[in-house]
This record gives sequence, structure tokens and C-alpha cells, in this order.
Amino acid sequence: MRRRAPAHLNESRARMRRFAWMLSCAVLATGVFVSLAPESPALAQSSPATGAAKGIEGDWVRTDSGGSGSFGGLSDKFKKAELTPAGQGTVANSGRPPTGPAYTEDRVHKPGDPYIVVEKPCGAGGPFAGGGLGVNPDSNAIHIVQQKDEVVIAPERNGVRRIYTDGRRQADVSKWTPTGSGHGVGHYEGKVLVVDTVGLAPGPVPGGGYRTTETHLTERFEVSPDGRHLTIHYTYSDPKIYVTPHSYDYTFDRLPVGSYAFEDWCDAGDPHERESITIPEQK
Amino acid sequence: MYRVMRLAAIALMLATTGIFAGAPPLAAPAARQSPAKAAAMAENPHDISGYWELSFDSRKIPPSDLAPGVTKTILEQKAAADARAIRYCNLVGTPSVMDPGRPLDIREGTREVIITADVNASPRHIYLDRAKHISADEFDTTSNGDSIGHWDGDALLVDTVGFDPKKGLVQIPGGGFRTADSHLTERYRLLEDGSVLSVVFTWEDAKVFRTPHTYEFRYYRMPRQYEPVPAWKCDPYDEIRNKFLENPIGMK
Repeated sequence: MRRRAPAHLNESRARMRRFAWMLSCAVLATGVFVSLAPESPALAQSSPATGAAKGIEGDWVRTDSGGSGSFGGLSDKFKKAELTPAGQGTVANSGRPPTGPAYTEDRVHKPGDPYIVVEKPCGAGGPFAGGGLGVNPDSNAIHIVQQKDEVVIAPERNGVRRIYTDGRRQADVSKWTPTGSGHGVGHYEGKVLVVDTVGLAPGPVPGGGYRTTETHLTERFEVSPDGRHLTIHYTYSDPKIYVTPHSYDYTFDRLPVGSYAFEDWCDAGDPHERESITIPEQK
Repeated sequence: MYRVMRLAAIALMLATTGIFAGAPPLAAPAARQSPAKAAAMAENPHDISGYWELSFDSRKIPPSDLAPGVTKTILEQKAAADARAIRYCNLVGTPSVMDPGRPLDIREGTREVIITADVNASPRHIYLDRAKHISADEFDTTSNGDSIGHWDGDALLVDTVGFDPKKGLVQIPGGGFRTADSHLTERYRLLEDGSVLSVVFTWEDAKVFRTPHTYEFRYYRMPRQYEPVPAWKCDPYDEIRNKFLENPIGMK
């Protein structure tokens, strides 16, 4: 004959059932949250495009902060690069003579007879091609577009420069074809875009330096608090070339709202592209 | 005892929901899909950024309906002008930059979309912060013109004027050519969960086309880790290259 369980035991069993039911609800709730939970900000792909980083996006033109009046005059005021003996030899042998006959001929041209200063205008190579002007901008503006995976610096001629900001590794220079803009990877340190570049085509560096494909260029892009000025701090590191890393700054002003990119046109088939001064007819 | 067990159950429920709220959501069972498509599925539908490539099956180009004034002689002149531009490595411009033989790099910022190709071409700047074109009195015409764009639903609409008829390759897919009066409208849309980019081009120019000429390209998204290989530089002083372009086939 079955005996009725004691009351205290029945109550205990009821509580156990309730506990089991609550535990089941807990498990069910976790399943619901797993399917509905938004991606945690902590685990979301970190985006370099912070509000402050958007500051570098836009159109910029170099400024002559020291009143030098020329690119050469401006870089003459940079601290001179401290070169190793090998570096000094490289710089001494790296000069490219001008190619136009106007530099070597010894005659005065008659009116209408142009001085030819460039033998091969619109040429294909050189350290400023392949986006090189995105590393060393000239008097043309640079146009920066920032997206979470890549920052594009577009000069107004000779190609664009890409800076990968998606966390990918730096290129293996032994497998990289050198270009004017090299291979750049970047990340943000607070409001500053820090870029590491290797694989640059050999060529001169402002301040009496030089770069090879093994040279590391570190840049810090920093926008002023009012968003109107950009400073790029350059540091070239290469123990074969430099005794100590070589640094200098370029400064830029932001172009007004509504600015747009120009196109620097060059037609190698146009003979006027080779000319400089043509003395007009004298009356 | 029961009170302790109840509190433990509540704590367990809160703890597990807090833990899993911080975890990435469980992915749907992985269907067979390309890495590019899988990456694209997480992309913003209003961001066409990425590397995009045309394949052999990417182009739908009907023949254009040319205006009566476009003679065979005029078409031959335009073809000769383009051949000269190629010979001298001129910037190719639009429309050629949109079919460059290499993947396009498209980056959408807050102010503009920039389209670059690793050939001798200027970047295309599509300004999102302007509703009007630069005045014709002010704008120096270019091989790409002046482009403005805005999002309309799931489509980026781009409007371009200001082409320079003497700069770049002027011939248009399907027949015809661009002039200083040409008006190009484009419609960019992401398809197939962001792994395909459809671009519909419509050219209007009463001197060239009797009716607007429309064609479509569909670009495939490259994997996220794709990097362009530096392009071979176009050298207008390469005599072997120039003889190849200028001489009949077989002549050295």
C-alpha cells in the first residue's frame, strides 16, 4: 500500500519543480538573447573612422609656413639628415641632371624660338609617379577620402596613394614592386593617423636624405583642433642611410567648402609640353 | 535552501544573458558562398566601397541610336583621336576608366566617393556634398567631368557634366562619343548581398544620340584582403610599344 508522502517532502518537491522550471527559463532566455543580441561595441570591428579621424578627410594644400618662397627654400630650413658614409655616397650619386638642351646650350634664342627644358615630358617613371605625390605633395592640392578599410590620398597627377587601415600586415618588400607611394598601413592613436610605409621607389628625401625600398617612413597626420590645418610629421628610418632617424614636418591648409579636384593634364604628343620660355616678338 | 536555489537560478539567468549579449550573434549555417560574398553580407548597403572587377559576363551593351548628323567619317575621326590618345599615354577619362582592365578601387567617404583605377587615369571624384554642378564659367573641363551624387533609396545616383572633348578616350560603349555637351547619369546599386555592384550608365547628347543611350556593367567584389599590383607604367617614349600601336600587324 502506497503511503502518502509527508507534507514537508511534498513541499520540497514542489520547490524543486519550481527551481527546475526557473532554470529552464534561464536557458531559454539565453537562447533568445543569443539570437537577438546586437554586436557588442567591444567586439565590433574597430573602426578607425572616429569623429576626430574624419578631420583628415577633405582637400588640402601645402603652406609655406616659414615664408621661404620655394620648395627648395622651405626644405633648406629642415634639420639636415645625418647620413652614414654609405648614405652620403648614395646621395652624392643620386642626382638626376636636367634633360632639356636649354640647360647646356650656350646661345640666346630669337623671338619665337622656345627654350626646351624637358626632353621627355609626361614621362612614366620617377619617384613622384605611382602616387608619390601623396607622400611628398607639391603645390597641387591633395584630396583625402577616408573609409574604414582604406584611406586614399589623391594628388592631382601621377596616381593615388592608398593607406590600408583594416589591420592587414605590412608588405614583404622582397616581393613588392617599389612605387612612389610604397605600401602603407595605418592605425589611429587617439586623433592621430599613424602610417608606416615601406617599398618606396628609391629617391631623394627633403632635408638632404634618401630612401630605398627598405627605408621605413612613419607619418603622423594630425589635424588642428579647429579642423583648418593639417600637419604631417615625417620620420625616415634606415640604418644603412641615416645615423639617426630623419624627421621634418609639412603643413597644410584645408581648402574652402565647395572646393574640388583639378586635373593636371599632360599630352606627350604636344610639342609645347617640352617648352619653357619663348621670347615674344619685340616691337 | 529553496531561497538560495531561487537566487542562484536568477543569478544564472542574468549572468548568462549578460555574457551572451556581449558575444557575437550566432551565424546562420554557412551556406556555400565565396569569401567575398560572405564579407559583403556584413557591409553597409549605402557604402559601395571595395575593389570591384568586371568579368567576361559583366557587360550588357546594346547598340546606340545615333543622331543623323553622326556620319561614318566623324566616327572614324573619333576613333583616330582615341588611338592617338592611347599612343601618347593620355589620361583615359570617363567612360574608359570604368572598364580599365583591372579592378576599380571605390572608397566612399563622408564628402565624396572616389573611384580609382591603376591605369593612366585621373581619379573620379563624385561629390556627395553638392547638389549643383560647378558653374561652366568656372569649371575647367576634364577627362572625367564634374560629378555629383546622392543616395536615393538603395541607389547612388550620379550626375556628370563638364567633359572635355579633347581629353581622354571619347568613344562610348555601344557606339557614339562624348562631347562638351554630354550628360552622363549613373545608377549604382549593390546586388546579391553586396557582392555585386550594378552600374547603369545613361548618356544624353542631342548631337550624338537620337535617344538616350543606356548600358549596364556588373562588377564582382574582390576579397577583402585584395591589393592591387602596381600597374605597368604607360611610357609614350617606348619605341617598340609605339611601333606595335602604329604599324600594321606583323610589321616590326
